[in-house]
Amino acid sequence: MRIAVCRPQVPFNYGGAELVSDTLVEQLRAREYEAELVSVPFKWYPGTRVLTQAFSWRLLDLTESDGRPIDMVIATKFPSYVVRHPEKRVWLVHQFRQAYELDRTELGQFDESPSGRALRRKVQDLDRVALGEATRLFAISGNVAGRLQRSTELVAEVLWPPAQGLDYRNEGHGDFILSVNRLDRAKRVDLLIEAAALEPSLQVVVVGDGPDGDRLRSLARDSGVAGRVRFTGRADAAELARLYATCFATYYAPFDEDFGLGPYESFLSGKPVVTTTDAGGPLDIVHDGSTGRVVAPEAGAVASAATWLRDHPDEAAAFGQAGMAIAAEVTWDHVIERLLS
Amino acid sequence: MKVAVFTPMPPERSGIADYSALLLPALQARCEIVVVRRGAKKPPRGTDLCVYHVGNNPEAHGWIVDALRRTPGLVVLHDFVLHHLVAGITIGRRDGHGYLDAMEREGGVVGRLLGHAVLDKRIPPLWENRPEDFHLAGEVLGLATGLVVHSGYVRDRARAAGFVGPVSVIPHPAFPTPEAPAAQVEGSPLFGTFGNVNASKRVPQLLEAFARVRRLHPETGLLLVGAVSPGFDLDRRLQRLGLDGEGLVREGYVDESRLWALMRACDVLVNLRSPTMGETSGTAIRALALGKPLVVSDVGWFSELPDDVALKVPVDDDEVQTLVAALELLTSRADVRAAMGAAALELARAEHGLERVADLYLAAFERTAGGDAVSDAVLHEVSRAAADVGIEPGSADANEIAARLGEVELGG
Repeated sequence: MRIAVCRPQVPFNYGGAELVSDTLVEQLRAREYEAELVSVPFKWYPGTRVLTQAFSWRLLDLTESDGRPIDMVIATKFPSYVVRHPEKRVWLVHQFRQAYELDRTELGQFDESPSGRALRRKVQDLDRVALGEATRLFAISGNVAGRLQRSTELVAEVLWPPAQGLDYRNEGHGDFILSVNRLDRAKRVDLLIEAAALEPSLQVVVVGDGPDGDRLRSLARDSGVAGRVRFTGRADAAELARLYATCFATYYAPFDEDFGLGPYESFLSGKPVVTTTDAGGPLDIVHDGSTGRVVAPEAGAVASAATWLRDHPDEAAAFGQAGMAIAAEVTWDHVIERLLS
Repeated sequence: MKVAVFTPMPPERSGIADYSALLLPALQARCEIVVVRRGAKKPPRGTDLCVYHVGNNPEAHGWIVDALRRTPGLVVLHDFVLHHLVAGITIGRRDGHGYLDAMEREGGVVGRLLGHAVLDKRIPPLWENRPEDFHLAGEVLGLATGLVVHSGYVRDRARAAGFVGPVSVIPHPAFPTPEAPAAQVEGSPLFGTFGNVNASKRVPQLLEAFARVRRLHPETGLLLVGAVSPGFDLDRRLQRLGLDGEGLVREGYVDESRLWALMRACDVLVNLRSPTMGETSGTAIRALALGKPLVVSDVGWFSELPDDVALKVPVDDDEVQTLVAALELLTSRADVRAAMGAAALELARAEHGLERVADLYLAAFERTAGGDAVSDAVLHEVSRAAADVGIEPGSADANEIAARLGEVELGG
């Protein structure tokens, strides 16, 4: 069986969605499927570029390659699912969020002019048509499925992606809280830095890079916490596994996140997660007092939750273990069985 | 976004005036709405979009079509058949040529000749006898930059009539139900039918079916509410069917509060009609909001009601017999009435909820106001890219690109 996994690629940009689609191809191949990643560059500005770039997917012919049929496509995030195929499966990582819940926020894109508003509606209409063509529709989290249903009335089966394959282990209750995230505003790493400023005993390690990195480093310096907030940049797999193994908890609190692999990686290392009530996808598995702490999106609340976990190692270990039981159920065998069903 | 709305408003006695009075506050919470004063021909300055509520009544909507002629915009098409409206704003204004042109636009030379026959009083007015054969919606559709309709039926008829612009199917919002208690009316169960009493509301068929049901179930009742249309001899029909003594309760035109009290008293609402002008029934929407089971004619918008809220009676030779079966089922099965009533309430809440309807309207406004500019920009960029690689207009490749654009609704 030949399967094309489709994903857009913002050049020089690699994140969770790319990791998921790359790993899906690897895992399909490991199960003897002929799988190939089909990627098209994506630029969503200015003006109607978001539509014309999306439309480029529509002009692809993925029904066959070199005279042999491609049996199925699995599209992932906007706009790859605009592709045509008689057996189009969609494992929805996310829609074009600027056209939905990010509209009229600082992360929005469409202005208040009639053409700006109409452009946003065109993106929504494109979603309705393109996703409506899917022969099976899955979403990577309850949050993504919920947004889809609210915006298009289409119903998707929730199918969580497994975490990346690291050397997960637990080397005990360390003295720092770990943030693993791309550094952009939506990931809200600044909330953790502000929490450190409020709680002088809190030690923080921030892994990742991105466009918000300089601002976050300045924030740490200006807040007088540069000595307690360590930025590592991107970490390789071994270093990342070691940091997970030695922290006392992880922090993962983007605003209204689609999914978030971070909590799964944390749980597979036996570490609880601090998140916020508006974090979206992570709330599928991070439950307050069970697998971590879920608090208001305020620096004081994050500081309290983090120090509580640091100061209650038995409870932190129990939360981490409960999380591990959830994360261990999320396997590629299950994902592939559902995607191809 | 500033939206100018041309609509009848209370105290005008019209279902569309009630509709707008219900909807506009929810829209005003979403964008800037200016309700244009009756008779105005132009929108206020700075208007981004004009919205015209068009129904079949020339007194209520003639001035709205006049304004639409000056400034095209989004049309909320409450009825698809507009023959009465067009007759009113042509013949009614001593503009016979306008009527002939409208008939010719739709029916060609034959239509024009029929129009002449109407003007010469050689045949009865078509808007009274055969309106469904000549809808005369062509001019309004031609001026509309987008449509809002309340049913797939009207959308399909508009498409069949050649309308190619954006069409939004938006359900009629559910009316808030007043707290007032039910009126005291005898009958167990009590069937109710509301609106003008005439042949197109299938009153003869309903009376005949009810008379048969009552012979088997003498405890049932029928509440018949509404003014009797000229030429419809209700009393004689009741006498012939033996319904002039008991079992049937009559009320004429009633005000809104009495209407709700009477509807609340009913166990089942019967809402029949044929032919349909493509209209939505405000009475049926009220019935859903009250959680009442419906019996409807299987035509137009009514056919699109879910089967679990409405028993649908085809308009055919067996109409009366099917109606008898429906009334008997609902007479003998309280559990079916209860299940249908619960489904009706849920439908009113989920599908016809005011906030949902207002969101759909906002989407229609936004699509229409800037939609052409966006489509033009997309087409410009795609065609320029095609030209850059040597794809000629009209070539097979260009046609394929156009087809793909159409598939995802990005075409012009």
